Amino acid sequence: MKERQYRLLPHTADIRLEVRGKDLPELFAASVEALFSLIVDRRRVRPVSSKSWNVSGKDPEEQLFSLLRGALLLFSSDRFLVRTAHATMKVPGVEMKVAGEPFDPLRHAADREIKAVTAHGMTIERVPGGYAARFIVDV
Amino acid sequence: MKFQDISLKKLSETMWEIPREGGMRVPGLIFASEAMMGEIVRDEAVRQVMNVAHLPGILRYSIGMPDIHWGYGFPIGGVAAMDLDEGVVSPGGVGYDINCGVRLLRSDLTASSLKPRLPELLAALHREVPSGVGSTGPLRLSPQDEEKVLVDGSRWAVSAGFGAAEDTAFTESGGKYPGADPDAVSDVAKKRGRDQLGTLGSGNHFLEIDEVTEIHDEAAASAYGLFPGQAVVQIHSGSRGLGYQVCDDYLGDMADYMRRNRIELPDRQLACAHIRSPEGERYLSALAAAANFAFANRQLLAHRARETFLKVLKTGPRDLGMRLVYDCGHNNAKFEQHEVEGRKRKVLVHRKGATRAFPPGDPEIPAAYRGVGQPVFIPGEMGNASYVLAGQPGAMLLSFGSTCHGAGRRMSRTAAKASVRGRSIAQDMEKRGVLVACASWKTLAEEIPEAYKDVSAVVNVVHDAGIARKVARLKPIAVVKG
Repeated sequence: MKERQYRLLPHTADIRLEVRGKDLPELFAASVEALFSLIVDRRRVRPVSSKSWNVSGKDPEEQLFSLLRGALLLFSSDRFLVRTAHATMKVPGVEMKVAGEPFDPLRHAADREIKAVTAHGMTIERVPGGYAARFIVDV
Repeated sequence: MKFQDISLKKLSETMWEIPREGGMRVPGLIFASEAMMGEIVRDEAVRQVMNVAHLPGILRYSIGMPDIHWGYGFPIGGVAAMDLDEGVVSPGGVGYDINCGVRLLRSDLTASSLKPRLPELLAALHREVPSGVGSTGPLRLSPQDEEKVLVDGSRWAVSAGFGAAEDTAFTESGGKYPGADPDAVSDVAKKRGRDQLGTLGSGNHFLEIDEVTEIHDEAAASAYGLFPGQAVVQIHSGSRGLGYQVCDDYLGDMADYMRRNRIELPDRQLACAHIRSPEGERYLSALAAAANFAFANRQLLAHRARETFLKVLKTGPRDLGMRLVYDCGHNNAKFEQHEVEGRKRKVLVHRKGATRAFPPGDPEIPAAYRGVGQPVFIPGEMGNASYVLAGQPGAMLLSFGSTCHGAGRRMSRTAAKASVRGRSIAQDMEKRGVLVACASWKTLAEEIPEAYKDVSAVVNVVHDAGIARKVARLKPIAVVKG
């Protein structure tokens, strides 16, 4: 499985990420995977069950914010870990499908508690080869 | 002095004013030494102090403490007091971890007598006190009990058998914020909290055994039950997922409120609502509920720590002498009486990464401490030191009864992690005389001492400014990191 790319940008107290994707669905999926890479070593998460949800939003930033909030709740409320994510544009929003499994403290060494995904500083830009998203998570 | 277009006026060796400009309603005031100021101006924190000064109804100053750093909307280490009629409440002025705070337990043990048992004690504390990401607590609360926690805070915990009745008397606000409304807390937030009561969490949260290495103020140390060489326990945790969710839920509501009421501010993260509006009132009752969850959480953690000491040391409560010195939050918005323009009035004080520091004589602090001032605990980086302070009259004059809350980060988590590559942090710490147990080695790497400012320098500023006085210095000897 090809791992999608993300990188961490400097931030004193929290974590700021930059994620890339060749198009918006790829960017959204890569962002959800990056979020889970902060929480756990995703290679240890088996894609044994799936979940999906839809979001709307007036622009890609709002859509990404809602997608990431929903993704974080999967873990913080339902204790579900994501291995892979797949996004599809659906008028008027986005459908996110993820595969993963329930958190098992014995098998999944969770590294970091993410308190929230923050809306501020969330940007999506066109870059050569596709899109880049930047956002901050509160840890 | 100007730095990147920001004017700074030196008021004294420990205070800097940012004069009003543009839409600022009040000036900024930062407590820092000249050396620290050089570092503070490098990130967004000073700009954030200026942004906070734009909030409707802000009184006197937008304040920054010496441990100030870049936060969400408000800087971490920020204080802002609001007029109740004109003013606003902002979830970003409290933070995600509502009523995150520190409690200190004293004991009759000396650190040297504990030393041979320390590895065993640390292992037991690490085992018995749930920590780390996704950990669950000793309880699974029924929805009815969770509501009681949200309304009664530590008082619920004590009535359920987790601790002694006197514990609540030595907790800020008696361990219970008034005005909590469980209905203002979303179902998702309640679900997140249900199995997390009595868990430490992760990141910079910790439980540690410290040795009292220096006494700076005999009278206050004696009132707090502290003596040189003593072993004490310090706990840093908050309202867990419940509090984070409350903040997240209300940020959205407040953004809508601002649009509807055409409140324009330089930063969207300062989402707010008027204190007297239904939105503001609802957030404040959810905040009180989350704050109560945090008090109960620390009460359970302390109870579990006390029980572990008794079990491992095979001793009785009387010989252990482990009682709560005080519990104080550092992420809050509270209604308090303060003097503004020569008149005492009720205001709402936001403290985000700032600790209440009421002076001697204040009726809000326990009678036993009224002669010396409210205890304040300032945890430092894990290899070095923490401080016990006492609130001073200067806090009421200068900072709405507030002081700093910690060392303050100076290095990003990525930079911290990069700097430890190839090094064993546990061994490094052991060389410094600190045993460490942790849930995640990655978290530990992010929490290395170098990632933080020097806590002694931070504390010296608030001491010299007369807002909180040094009482004792603590050195960690065993640390459980989440």
